[in-house]
Amino acid sequence: MSAREEILTRVRKALADREAHAHPGDFGSWQAEPSGSIVPAFMEAFTSTGGEVVRVADEAQAGAWLREFSADFSGTAIGDGVPMALRPPLAAAPPAAADLGVSMATSGVAETGSLVLGARDGRRTQLLPPTHVVFLHTSDTVATLKEALNAMKGTLPSAIGLHSGPSKSADIGQVLVRGVHGPGRVIAVLIGADQ
Amino acid sequence: MSDPRPADYATAAAATLRDTPEVRTAITAATRTFDAHRRAAYAQVAAEEWRTWMEGVKNHLLTHLADYLEQAEEQLTRNGVHVHWAGTGDEALAALGDVVDAHGVGGVVKAKSMLTEELGVNAFLEQRGVRVRETDLGEYIIQLLGEPPSHIVGPAIHRSLEDCQALFHRELGTSPDATPDELAGAARDALRSDFLSADLGISGGNFLVAESGTVALIENEGNIRLSTSVPPVHVAFVGIEKLLPRFEDLSGFLQLTSRAATGQAIGTYVSLIQGPRRADESDGPTEVHVILVDNGRSSLLADDTAWEALRCVRCGACLNVCPVYRQTGGHAYGWAYSGPIGAILAPGLLGLENAMPLPHASSLCGACEDVCPVRIPFTDILLHWRHQAVERGLASTTEGLAMRAFAGLTERPRLYGAAARALRHLPIEVGGSALPVLRNWTAERELPKPSVRRFAQLWKDGIA
Repeated sequence: MSAREEILTRVRKALADREAHAHPGDFGSWQAEPSGSIVPAFMEAFTSTGGEVVRVADEAQAGAWLREFSADFSGTAIGDGVPMALRPPLAAAPPAAADLGVSMATSGVAETGSLVLGARDGRRTQLLPPTHVVFLHTSDTVATLKEALNAMKGTLPSAIGLHSGPSKSADIGQVLVRGVHGPGRVIAVLIGADQ
Repeated sequence: MSDPRPADYATAAAATLRDTPEVRTAITAATRTFDAHRRAAYAQVAAEEWRTWMEGVKNHLLTHLADYLEQAEEQLTRNGVHVHWAGTGDEALAALGDVVDAHGVGGVVKAKSMLTEELGVNAFLEQRGVRVRETDLGEYIIQLLGEPPSHIVGPAIHRSLEDCQALFHRELGTSPDATPDELAGAARDALRSDFLSADLGISGGNFLVAESGTVALIENEGNIRLSTSVPPVHVAFVGIEKLLPRFEDLSGFLQLTSRAATGQAIGTYVSLIQGPRRADESDGPTEVHVILVDNGRSSLLADDTAWEALRCVRCGACLNVCPVYRQTGGHAYGWAYSGPIGAILAPGLLGLENAMPLPHASSLCGACEDVCPVRIPFTDILLHWRHQAVERGLASTTEGLAMRAFAGLTERPRLYGAAARALRHLPIEVGGSALPVLRNWTAERELPKPSVRRFAQLWKDGIA
C-alpha cells in the first residue's frame, strides 16, 4: 500500500466511531457588519503597524507626489501592474539592486491594515528594495479580510502577499527593529476619496 | 528534532535553573511581554466567539480529515503543485531528498517551521552536503549557536542582546556593542546573498486550504515571503492536521492566530501560495512541492481524548502563560514542541513511553486553556496521559504507591481521621525528613503548620 493509502486508511479508521462535527459557518457571523468609513479605518490600522499613508485625489496627483518623493532615490523596480502615469522618473533597476520598489495593490483591508499584493505584479519588487511605495485606489478598500478573500476566490494568482506595515523583528534581545528582510519603510498612497 | 530526549526533562530543567539562571530571567520577561500583547489583542475583539468558531472549524476539519486531504491533493495538483504523502518522518525526508537530487540542490534557504524541527530536516540536508541557511532572525541566531529553538514563536528568546552582540561580533564581524538595528542589518546583508543564490526554499505551512490548495504562512520579517518567492523551487512541509476546509476560513484563522501569538491584528506578512509561477507572472518558483506529513498524527487522532490537541495552530500562547515553561524555556523538554502543547503532543506523536515525564511537567493550573485560540482542553489531556502512564506502569512507583495509599485512606473515614490526627501531632520541624516523599518539596519551602483542630470540628463550629 502506498503512503497515501496508508495515511487515509489510518485516518478513516481513527474517525470510525467519532461523532462528526458540522462546520460552524462564516467567520464573524455573530457580530454586526462594521459601520463607518472604510478608508479612515484602513489608515488607522495601517499606520499602527508602522506603515505610512499618503492621500491624493487622483492618479495625476499620485504621479506628481511620486516624482517628488523619488528624487532621493537612485534606482527603482516597478510592478507590472503600475500604470505608466504612476512610474517615477528614475533609472530602472532589478529589484535586488533598486532602493525603491513601486507596486499596485489589488485591495486594502481596513480590519487588519493590510495591502493585498498579487504575484502578477512581481514579488521581488514587493520585498527586496528597502523602501516600498504601494498605490491603492480607495475604491478597492474593503472593511474585512473575509470580503477581500471572497473577492479574490476564483481568480487567485500563484501567490498573494498581505503586507501590513514594514518588516519587523524582536528576535534580538526582544528589541523591535524594522527592515529585517523586507522593506523597512512602506508607504501606502491612497488614490481617491473616502468610500 | 531527530533525537527527542523528553526522558531527561528533570535533569535538564534542574541544570538550566542551576547553571544558567539568566535563561529563566530572559524567558520570563519575554513570555510576559508576549502574553500582555495577546491579552490586549484579545480585548479588542470578540475573542470568546472567535475562539469558539476556530474550535468548531478545526473539529469539523478533523472529523472529516480524510475527505479534506483528498480534496486538498486534488486542488493542489490542479494548481500545478507536486503532492507527496509521508506516513513517517523518514518518508518525509526521503521526499525532500528526491527533490534535492532531481535539482542538484547545493544551497537551501529555510523559513521557520516547527515541523521541520520535528523531522530534523537541517541535519538530513547537511549530511547530504547541502548548505542550509535558517533565515528567520531568531532561527539564524540559534543556528549559529548550534541550539534548538526554545519557543514556538520566538526561538531565541532565551538569548539576551549581549549574547547576540558577542555572537554576531564573532560570526559577522560587527562591533561588540552594536545596536539591535546594526545587528539586524548585518544579518540581512549576510542572508540576502543566500536568498538570491539558493536553489531551494523550504517552509512549513500554518494552514493548507483544501478548497483552493492554498498554503498560508504568517510572519513578520519577510524571510518566508522571500524563501517561497526567490529560489526556483519551493518545498512546503505541512502536517495533515493543518488543513482548513474553505478559503474564507483563513479570515478568522489568520487573525486570531496572530493575536494569540504576538498580539498583532495580523502578522506583518501573510503569504497565500496557490502554486508555481504562471505564464503571466514575472517571478516566483517554477516548481512547488507540498509534503503532507502524518508522523504519528493519525494515531493521535484515534485517541478519544487527546485528538483535540490536533486543533493546535502553533501560536505559542500556552507557553507564554505557563508557570512551568517560564522557569526553563523550551530546551529542557528535549523536543521540538515545548510547554503545555509539547506535553500533550509528545505522548501522541512520540508514543507515551518516549514522552515521559512531560505529561507531569505541569501544575494543572489551566492557564493554557484560558488563552488557547482553539480551546484545547489541556488539563483533561494531561490527566488522560497521566492515567495511561499509571495503567501502563510508566509513572513513578512512589507516586503510584502514595496515591493508592491516599485513596485507601479516603475510603475509610475512621482510618482517615486517625491518619490526620497523627499528622497533626508530627513534630513539624522534622516533618520534611520524617516524610521522605516530601523532601523535595520541603527543601525549598516551609511546611505549613497543621491546625490543632480537625476540619470536621472547625466545620461544626461554623468557623470554616
